[in-house]
Amino acid sequence: MKKIKLLTITLAVILVTAIAFFGVYIPVQNRMEDKVEGYSYAMDLKGGRNIRLKVDTSNKTVVKDSEGNEVEDADNLTDEQISQNGYTKEETPNNPQDVLTYDNYKKSKGIIEDRLSKLGVNNYITKVDDKTGDILIEIPENDNTDAIVSNIATTGKFEIVDSNTKEVLMDNNDIKAARVMYGSNSTSTTSSGTTVYLEIEFNKNGSQKLQNISNDYKTQNTVNVTNTTNITNETNTVADANNTTNETNTNTTQTTEEQKEITMLIDDEEIMTTSFDETLETGKLQLSVGTATTDQKTLQNYINQASSMAVVLDNGNMPVKYTVDENQYILSDMTQNELNIVLYVMVGLVVISLLVLIIRYKTNGLALAISYIGLASIFLLLIRYTNVVISIEGIFGIAMVLILNYIFLNKLLAKLKKEKEVEKETVNKKLKETYKEFFIRIIPICIAVITFCFITWEPISSFGMIMFWGIALIAVYNSIVTNLFLKIKAGK
Amino acid sequence: MKKMTKKQKILIAIIALIIIAGIIITATIGLNFDLRYQESKKVELYLEQDFEISDIKAITDEVFPNEPVIIQKVEVYEDTVSITAKDITDEQKVDLINKINEKYGTELSADSTTIESIPHTRGRDIIKPYIAPFCIATLIILVYMAIRYSKLGIVKTILKVVIISVVAQATLLGVIAITRIPIGRLTIPMVIVIYMLTLVGLTSDFEKKLKENNKEEEAGN
Repeated sequence: MKKIKLLTITLAVILVTAIAFFGVYIPVQNRMEDKVEGYSYAMDLKGGRNIRLKVDTSNKTVVKDSEGNEVEDADNLTDEQISQNGYTKEETPNNPQDVLTYDNYKKSKGIIEDRLSKLGVNNYITKVDDKTGDILIEIPENDNTDAIVSNIATTGKFEIVDSNTKEVLMDNNDIKAARVMYGSNSTSTTSSGTTVYLEIEFNKNGSQKLQNISNDYKTQNTVNVTNTTNITNETNTVADANNTTNETNTNTTQTTEEQKEITMLIDDEEIMTTSFDETLETGKLQLSVGTATTDQKTLQNYINQASSMAVVLDNGNMPVKYTVDENQYILSDMTQNELNIVLYVMVGLVVISLLVLIIRYKTNGLALAISYIGLASIFLLLIRYTNVVISIEGIFGIAMVLILNYIFLNKLLAKLKKEKEVEKETVNKKLKETYKEFFIRIIPICIAVITFCFITWEPISSFGMIMFWGIALIAVYNSIVTNLFLKIKAGK
Repeated sequence: MKKMTKKQKILIAIIALIIIAGIIITATIGLNFDLRYQESKKVELYLEQDFEISDIKAITDEVFPNEPVIIQKVEVYEDTVSITAKDITDEQKVDLINKINEKYGTELSADSTTIESIPHTRGRDIIKPYIAPFCIATLIILVYMAIRYSKLGIVKTILKVVIISVVAQATLLGVIAITRIPIGRLTIPMVIVIYMLTLVGLTSDFEKKLKENNKEEEAGN
């Protein structure tokens, strides 16, 4: 009976090991498919998106009047009209020579890193070329990568200008923070859905300026603002910014000839033109992104748009203008073969260690060696089903868990070896003692591991998560399987 | 205060030597960074077909003898290879392309292939993301140890944890500097493992001392 029990557990361990290492293959449409979840790899093992931001060395054509002021809407002017009006055409570099400095390159890199962090990129490598100013970025490849790439290359220049005179009224220096907010547009009986807002909070100086501007550019005529939102001060549509001009604004222009308006520009692109219904004293400007909606997909789209703008505005503008020169997915130089070699080396070391255990502790050693293999196999399955991302640090985490379990079993076996006769009660007692001694010694490791689990930086969280599941498994598995093995062996 | 044994004295002397030598080497020659983090050159070649990294490796071994080279597949179709080396001269580029054309029957031309330069990664950029997690974890661990081993002296315990952890990491970096092991993707995992092992070692030592302390107290009563 004892032998049958031991054999059953051993067979169960062999089965789990086979599943963990070879998978479960089921025919699907004339081919065999492994039904066991695959591992998720981090950027260092999977590869990532490589982006090269090149310093923009191109020129822009500027038309200036006789006084040297830039002429607006000059794109529509022909060469003839330009000369007739006494204008001159000038080629101006997008990046003037004085901005191409090492400090500005470094500042731009810092801004990009801040943007990446705020966009939730949890693993990235950035390099800056001291001479050319080019910035190389490597980020993980996923569904958001393209959106992230479009955000990091943006200069992030923010301006509020007088619509007529083009005088700059506010710029990036006035911004304290930018964030995304939500509000529900509803009456007591109906709900038109959720509206996404981009909230720009200005610093002390900016708040004062905003107050003055909102007073100076107050809407002269009563304008019907139909949105009844519970958090807005202003109701302007930002989504599809280039195409959207509020009806409100149109009406205003028609009814009031002297209406002064401001234009908001991001990276010299017009986001909106508006006037203010009231004086803004809070130092905050809330702009609705899109219209109120109940559709989750549309809402998510608006949130993404608002988040992108918030991230760009929140980190200041890059002093240097960049263009995306290279944007491609490059696989890791660590191939599957090299990963297999790592796996074989680990298996080899485990086999040698288990042989030592068997030689030292004979049958008890053999029983716990089988138990050890079972834990290693379950652990490999566990990290696949808990969606833990494996990085190089994570691989070291796996090795650490295997070492810790080995130490645990070795301690337990050493205690049992001292006993002349091993009975069930002795197993219980020794197991408890080992648990106490072992876990007290690894409490600092547990603290570090739990801390690392909460860190967003992928390589370190990968290590933390793997170690967390490993330590939890050591605690649970040994109290069940190892305990069972030893109790069956003890017999009484 | 306990007297140090001869073995302990020798060990301390060796550690001190390693740390001092490591500091001198780092200050004079600097650390040896892996190619991945060094200033390097890169070429990308469109092979129009699937290929084996080992085949490209055989070619790069001929073109860049005894030099580390990074070979990577590009994009989802994996039909383009990216080759990174410390330096790629025009002659090496021509040689590389000729050998690739010969092997894969492609018609790549050296003129249309550009050598791109890749800037180096700063050491501080590599370690920056790890500083906060380590500081937070160490701070919590220090609080725990100060409470758990308060009988052994709070200040003494904290000092011991800080000093030994720093010495352990400095020794590791000293060994890396002396042996010229490249600072690469395995360096940070090694630092983490040493950190964890130091914690286990310290806890074991403190537990032992706490046990002895409790025994002495019981005997005193």
